[in-house]
Amino acid sequence: MVEPLQLQAAAWALTTTLELALFVQLVRGKLARIYPLFFSYLVAVILQSIAVAVLYRQTNLDKLTVWKIAWATQGVAVLMRSLALAELNRRVLSRYVGIWALASRLFFFVAAAVIAYDLALSRGKWQWLILNGIRGLELAMAAVIVTMLIFAHYYRVPVNHLQRALAVGLCLYSSFYVINYSLLERIVQQHAVLWNFLGIFAFIASLLVWIGAANRYAESEELALSPAISPELHGKLSSEVNTRLYLLNRQLIQLLRLKDRNQ
Amino acid sequence: MSLPTILLVLFALLLVTLLAWALRPPARPLKPALDVFEALSRPRHCSRISHVVQALQPEDTEYLRETGQVALMQTLRLQRRRIALNYLDQLQEEFEELLEISRMLAVMSPQVTGMQEMERWKLSVGFAVNCAFLRWKLRLGLQPFSGFTLLSNMATDIARQLEMATARIAEATVRGSESSAPGNENIGSR
Repeated sequence: MVEPLQLQAAAWALTTTLELALFVQLVRGKLARIYPLFFSYLVAVILQSIAVAVLYRQTNLDKLTVWKIAWATQGVAVLMRSLALAELNRRVLSRYVGIWALASRLFFFVAAAVIAYDLALSRGKWQWLILNGIRGLELAMAAVIVTMLIFAHYYRVPVNHLQRALAVGLCLYSSFYVINYSLLERIVQQHAVLWNFLGIFAFIASLLVWIGAANRYAESEELALSPAISPELHGKLSSEVNTRLYLLNRQLIQLLRLKDRNQ
Repeated sequence: MSLPTILLVLFALLLVTLLAWALRPPARPLKPALDVFEALSRPRHCSRISHVVQALQPEDTEYLRETGQVALMQTLRLQRRRIALNYLDQLQEEFEELLEISRMLAVMSPQVTGMQEMERWKLSVGFAVNCAFLRWKLRLGLQPFSGFTLLSNMATDIARQLEMATARIAEATVRGSESSAPGNENIGSR
């Protein structure tokens, strides 16, 4: 039978291989230029894998130091992921000035509320403050992604295949992290191997989603997102719509007056 | 596990569900810009509201009872209620169309106010509830006048909001064309 630690090591190796595959895909498809922060996040994750592998081979370090360094690298990875998320949101919504202005405020509010709630659960204990802070950030990221997609869905803002895949991968990983961490929070010490393995499994799923999307990506997808209305048509449409609405409104007011007279 | 932690897990699960919901393709594709023109130029169903309200007035058919034609009066009232129900469907369709136009305008507008969007959302929920309520009232043969007034008020509200949004777009377009006009460049800029 395969030992849990062997299984975890295999999963770890698979993750690093997939990370490198995604790295190659992003460079080859020139996506690193379009999504520089996502690319930086991937680089940070690869470096984290290397750093943690080296760290666990250092037998002269005590457990607490290893734990602190490992979580510090995780903090960097989470920070980079939140930057990648901000970049994704900006790419999807920023060309719609009004919607972006409203959405960015809402994202800030949602993220702040979720992090504040999660940090309140720490009750001032610093160990839990770091762990809960990371969980809060993960949950906030998932909430922001869902808010962004709901916005895009409501306003019918086009989201291309790659952007969807990035959002799905980021959201699924973050949601799974929160569920995993919250459910196993109490018994994490006894089931650390399982906890790590489940976390790696969720990340592998996200990596596969991203690799698939990066593989299918065509530059025309980005071009297809350009606004459908030219400034000339936009101006014409605006004044025309305005006139129609004035007429409609006047008509409605007249009708209401008519109705009052009837009553 | 404490209640706040359970709430966090439930919230995460809710987010996954919402993610799946938000990834669905839209029920109707967004109308191209020229279709909006066409939609706005069509005659509004609101303009027939006074006729519908008049037709539903009991006094309008009461004379048939006085002449002893009760069966005819009931048939007429039933038919008028059916027409009113049909009218209600058209009114709802029109309202949804206005909402769609407002969404399209929000996409083009340089400024979208949260309060206005929230107001529009509340309006659409209120309109749907009132429509359902009115439908049942009509089916049960009750007097629906106050409901119709409420619906037409809502249509006016949304039209007013659209008017404000289009005014902002027009203003921004004018500003944009002014700034891009030759001779408007900053003297110091290269």
